[in-house]
Amino acid sequence: MRQHRRILALWFARLPTDRLLRKARQPDSSAAPLVISHKANNALYVYALEARAQKLGLYKGQPLANARAMVQPLQIMPADEGADAALLEAIADWCDRFTPLVSLDAPDGLLLDITGAAHLFRGETALLKMVTGKIAKQGFAVQGAIAGTSLAARALARFAPGTIAAPGDEAVTVAPLPITALTPDDKILRALRHAGLKTVGMVAARLHSELSERLGKVFVNRLRVMLGAEEQPLEPRRPLPDLMAEQRFAEPVVTEEIISASLLSLAETLSEILERQGRGARMLEAGFFRADGKVARIAIKTGEPLRDPKVMLRLLCQKLDALADPLDPGFGFDLIRLEALLAEETKPGTVSFDSNENASRQVRFLIDRLAARFGEHRVQRFVAQDTHIPEAAGVTVPAQERDFDGAWILKRRGDDPPRRPLRLLERPEEIKAGLPLAPDGPPKYFLWRQCRHDVTRAEGPERIAMEWWRKEGHTRDYFRVETKEGQRFWLYRDGLFHQIGAPRWYLQGIFA
Amino acid sequence: MSYAELAVTTNFSFLHGASHPGDFVERAAELGYPAIGIADRNTLAGVVRAYEAWKKLPQPPRLLIGARLVFRDGTPDILAYPKDRKAYARLSRLISVGKLRAEKGECLLDFADLLEYRRGLLLIVMPPVDHAMVKPALAQLRVDAWLAASMLYTGEDRRRLRDLKKLARETSTPLIAINDALYHDPGERDLQDVVTCIREHLVLEQAGTRLQANAERHLKPPEEMTRLFHDAPQAVEETIRFATRISFTLDQLSQRYPREPVPRGKTPDGHLRDLTEQGLKWRYPDGVPPNVTALAEKELIFIAEGKIAHYFLTVHDIVKFARGQGILCQGRGSAANSVVCYALGVTSVDPTEIDVLFERFLNPQRREPPDIDVDFEHERREEVIQYIYQRYGHRRAALTATVIHYRPRSAIREVGKVFGLTEDITGKLADTVWGHHGDELEEYQVRQGEQDPHNHAVKRAVNFANRLMGFPRHLSQHVGGFVLTRDKLDWTVPIGPAAMDDRYFIEWDKDDLDTLEIMKVDVLALGMLTCIRKAFDLIHAHAQGGCEPKLLLATVPQNDKDTYDMLCKADAIGVFQVESRAQMSMLPRLRPRTPYDLTIEVAIVRPGPIQGNMVRPYLKRRAISLKDPNATFPFPCPSPEHGPANELHGILGKTLGVPLFQEQAMRLAIVAAKFSADEANGLRRAMATFRHVGTMHTFEKKFVEGMIGRGYDPAFAQDCFNQIKGFGSYGFPESHAASFALLVYVSAWIKCHHPAAFAAALLNSQPMGFYAPAEIVRCARDHGVMVLAPDAAFSHWDCTLERDHKDALCLRLGLRQIDGFREEDAQTITNNRCDGYCGFADFVRRTSLSKRALVTLAEADAFRGFGLDRREGLWAVRRLPDDNPLPLFAPRAAPEMGIEKIAPLPAMPLSEHVLADYQTMRLSLKAYPTQFLRPGFDAEGITSCKGVGALKDGASVRCAGVVLVRQRPGEGTAIFITLSDETGVCNVVVWARTFEQFRKEVMGARLLLAEGKVQKSPEGVVHLMAERLIDRSADLRLLAGAELPVPKPVHRHPRDVRILPPSRDFH
Repeated sequence: MRQHRRILALWFARLPTDRLLRKARQPDSSAAPLVISHKANNALYVYALEARAQKLGLYKGQPLANARAMVQPLQIMPADEGADAALLEAIADWCDRFTPLVSLDAPDGLLLDITGAAHLFRGETALLKMVTGKIAKQGFAVQGAIAGTSLAARALARFAPGTIAAPGDEAVTVAPLPITALTPDDKILRALRHAGLKTVGMVAARLHSELSERLGKVFVNRLRVMLGAEEQPLEPRRPLPDLMAEQRFAEPVVTEEIISASLLSLAETLSEILERQGRGARMLEAGFFRADGKVARIAIKTGEPLRDPKVMLRLLCQKLDALADPLDPGFGFDLIRLEALLAEETKPGTVSFDSNENASRQVRFLIDRLAARFGEHRVQRFVAQDTHIPEAAGVTVPAQERDFDGAWILKRRGDDPPRRPLRLLERPEEIKAGLPLAPDGPPKYFLWRQCRHDVTRAEGPERIAMEWWRKEGHTRDYFRVETKEGQRFWLYRDGLFHQIGAPRWYLQGIFA
Repeated sequence: MSYAELAVTTNFSFLHGASHPGDFVERAAELGYPAIGIADRNTLAGVVRAYEAWKKLPQPPRLLIGARLVFRDGTPDILAYPKDRKAYARLSRLISVGKLRAEKGECLLDFADLLEYRRGLLLIVMPPVDHAMVKPALAQLRVDAWLAASMLYTGEDRRRLRDLKKLARETSTPLIAINDALYHDPGERDLQDVVTCIREHLVLEQAGTRLQANAERHLKPPEEMTRLFHDAPQAVEETIRFATRISFTLDQLSQRYPREPVPRGKTPDGHLRDLTEQGLKWRYPDGVPPNVTALAEKELIFIAEGKIAHYFLTVHDIVKFARGQGILCQGRGSAANSVVCYALGVTSVDPTEIDVLFERFLNPQRREPPDIDVDFEHERREEVIQYIYQRYGHRRAALTATVIHYRPRSAIREVGKVFGLTEDITGKLADTVWGHHGDELEEYQVRQGEQDPHNHAVKRAVNFANRLMGFPRHLSQHVGGFVLTRDKLDWTVPIGPAAMDDRYFIEWDKDDLDTLEIMKVDVLALGMLTCIRKAFDLIHAHAQGGCEPKLLLATVPQNDKDTYDMLCKADAIGVFQVESRAQMSMLPRLRPRTPYDLTIEVAIVRPGPIQGNMVRPYLKRRAISLKDPNATFPFPCPSPEHGPANELHGILGKTLGVPLFQEQAMRLAIVAAKFSADEANGLRRAMATFRHVGTMHTFEKKFVEGMIGRGYDPAFAQDCFNQIKGFGSYGFPESHAASFALLVYVSAWIKCHHPAAFAAALLNSQPMGFYAPAEIVRCARDHGVMVLAPDAAFSHWDCTLERDHKDALCLRLGLRQIDGFREEDAQTITNNRCDGYCGFADFVRRTSLSKRALVTLAEADAFRGFGLDRREGLWAVRRLPDDNPLPLFAPRAAPEMGIEKIAPLPAMPLSEHVLADYQTMRLSLKAYPTQFLRPGFDAEGITSCKGVGALKDGASVRCAGVVLVRQRPGEGTAIFITLSDETGVCNVVVWARTFEQFRKEVMGARLLLAEGKVQKSPEGVVHLMAERLIDRSADLRLLAGAELPVPKPVHRHPRDVRILPPSRDFH
């Protein structure tokens, strides 16, 4: 006798909200109900919601604006499909303990082929209870069911959780389920609804030829699988790409030479893996597993995808050297592991003949080395901002971050003198200025840091009004001035004479 | 110290400038400028507005008309000012060339174009940042060219000025000072930034250097300009020299009217006289009454004096063409109700019956073009327009423009984007705006949109939206105002292409043309004319007992008692003009019996009479005079020392001593408030432009005090002026009302005597009128018409009439009632029908309709004629193969599908059928949706609509129904809602205060529960005065027995509002 296949289907009804709520550990019933939003066709929709929100009448697919109107306040988070998928994978990993054949039923379900495995867990009923119970304890809303085919099992998990269809009983068990259990295809669902066929049983009772002429052979096949008349194999999960190299030592290692030697060989192995995949590492982590169970980890980031093992080693060693607390091997490490936590595709490694590009590559390596030594936030670079306000025109970001960019607007034309000073003071410094000749003229002299400067030449004013939508501020008149000593400064008067009585003067920058 | 600003960009440079043209002109006058030039980007659209503001100023600066030419070939911007009329024509032509070359709204110019048309143009070249780039342009222009210099606080102004001086010397071009103004006052800088962001689709936070660095682009005092330019004083002086070179002003534009073909040896006046005489003989076959002859004589003399015979001949020509094509038309307007127009066939209103005296409104001081609007059948107006183009040519005939302004909804949406508000929020704010009107977003609206008005971001956005309101957004074509000239039109005003192929429109709108006294003929579309013509055709085709001649507007039997009786009962759904809620409640009170009564009926429910408190007094007097035709009423009169007590008898006689019409109000100004003709003219203009210029208060004082001073009742004086203000927001003169009254009568007559034809014609002319097809059908059934569902076996595209077995006329709904069904498919069905289809399979084979079309028919339950109900029909259609098999392999006739023996499908409940009917056709003949909710409603103690009518005055009541119509007449303090259920309709009145409290429910609900008190008038008009309103739209879901999405309310015309959401299949 052929053994009936047995499938256990799991459905996580609120995976996205559960994911976020689990983070909070302690459920906070006073917090606003959580809703996950998703943008489609330029409008926001409810993508997922926690049980409390559903009780308040909100539903999946509802326009977010309507949900907001119905329930105030709401906690709204954007959907993160990547994180949801990763979580589902993690649960699938965990399920590996029940059967080696776990398949993803994305985005929010799992299918476990438990054929011949149930007896290990004292029967199907006990197994279903154990699986759902353990997962529920982890903070997931989960529903499960067991049947002979995946379609029947997943339909039961969603619409009649806890059901175990005895072998051969699928057709009877699924008959009362609504037609939405049959297919996600809207067109077919509408066709069935229009025909007045509301349950799986009503559909099953029609002639198959009648159905296939109208709804297609694929649908009829699906129906047959659902009814247990036909089988459909599960698709096993694809293994994750392995971006890791590790070395175990029979005898725990203590000496630095051996440690760096093994790091280098790990880096070479990892480099090969990366090479094969055409990728490069942007974040590396070395784990040092001590014989007594302690683990030390150090991580480095790089500005561009990295594959050269020597550079990997150099960056790691620099980081190790810079540790305030040197790496303490204790009784020695019995395992060293090198992982690429973040990898990116690289362009084929051609060496450019353009010396500029090579030079800029050199700079990036320097940045990586400095960042490895001093910390990534200590090495900064300027990014241009599009604004008239001088002090806001450039902001600093970590030099390794590549996501920011802005074009510097060329304020200078041909052989004109520069309009902005090379050095801008951290904060404009107030100066005492002699009265100007005209209401919008430069001062004749000024006192800065207790020194008197006599203005011999000046150009301006360049009038810059503050960004009214941010905060109020006076309009400034900027002047480039040259003093008797030949120094050049950038001054401004904060406010116009006719607007405020006695505007103050500031020095904001120094020309080279 | 004198200065004239020549570089002014107004908000007619669409999203470039931030002040109205008038603001600039007024500020220039305040600053004592001797002249100001308006130069918008490649357009002359704003100059008339500037001119209008200019005319009102006591000591105006000279107004120079120009344009800022922006080129596509990299040439720097050039300001062009025409010296004289001829040069102006060239500038206008130049802009037209650029516009005709481009897509709608754009203007593409090359430097070469300027060279072609430059004669007589004074040109100011605007140097770009790299000023050396102007050299080649200057070298080619040589004479009449200036180099612009500005001091805009860029930090290097003086260095730049020095360079420009050098450049000017080298090219021997005079330097001229400008401030390149974008707004009249520095305080508008923030609005300018917002406008820039709207134009560039930016969020303020990210706009950065694309905004101006400071607030210097405004009009500056001459002293300030002189101070700024102390390095080059001659540049400031040059502005004055420049201005004196210009002699062109807008009043030099005068229209040269096209010469109508006049027979050899005749003058236009003589020809018009001949035509009038012939026409009178045709109108009065039994002899022309002597008073008509006398009137015609007077009018002809007047026309001859005004030299406007051509205008009448043009209108006559257009109308004659339409008549020849069998297109119904009807003229209206001050000159339309003349004997001449009656004789020419422009109107069918017998001037002896409604004596709207022509000369009274065409007074010689006004020196204004006569105003005749001609309405044509809306479906056939295009033929008339094509005729005009063919006759006058595209360069002599073009449409007027309509300036599209920012309205509350568009303003808040766009400003919201600039401030980074989400569409959620701005959408909600916008949704609380009533209709297209409303001039400001009020705080309560913000609150209704569920936004906290004190929330800083929202408050700021609302504030800017209010400032942006009234700004022009773009130009669009007017529906049918044609400007005709004898010369080329683009010598007077630039023309550009419209969205429709081969259609052009000028840059000025109706008000601009009025300001410049340019004549236009309005060729308008009127749905009711289409409807009437279709009804006439149907009546003719189904007439029993011989073929009577087809009816015409003028041959419909007059003074029909049944028709007036029907109107008096407010049985007026579908009748022209009087079908609105407010009109329907007026009918039983006014009890119209004559054409003039209808004229009053049409005019009385308007903002003017309502705001002037004239409605109630008139109704009172009307009630008395209905009982006693000889009753006399006291007329308002001055004190004896100021004039005869009967001085208003002539003006107000026909309206029982109560002023109701715009014309009467204007006459009151002259007779009672002693306005001079000029003043009256000023008042009329102020009234017409009331919305954008606030000059009314000066007239108000004069008017009210003038009347009180002469001994009139102060309250009456104030009411009269309030009425004038009301006319300002919505003018409705007697002359228009009289023309409309005829159509009211004709449509009512058809409804009364041929209800089936009337309903069919109405449905076939959709979209038009106030009511959804469901109501038209219900009304026809109430009139005893048997209505049959659309059916693939019997229906055509249009609704038709057929005779049932008892030989009664039935209305067969057309396939046009089915949403999403295409006319071509209906045509295919009709063409292949022959003697009828024998069954569904035969139908499918012979029509070879697409599967989509078949599904649409099945969903609409249109296969009953083949014995298939909705479910069976859909199931059968689904069996058919999908469309578009490879044509090569498709056999000529699809293979017969095997006959199938299948089990019957579960029967569809009636409620679901009704639901599906509404989803596919927005009406159901099977039942009314509320019928299925009735048991629940009964349990809740909710009264049916019919039940409300049976209650006593003052009774408390709860009534629920589908919202048919929501209306807020004029500035109305009340909102009218019509609810409907399976028993009838219920008229709900919501006072403005209650409305503000329940705005969301009123605006959004499709099924509404109203709680309040019954109010019954002596005439039997029943209203439910609402105190509380509850949105019960969700109840409609119960019909489906399942979850049914209720979409967000979208503001639509009431006839398009869906009671139930549309079907989503295959769409």
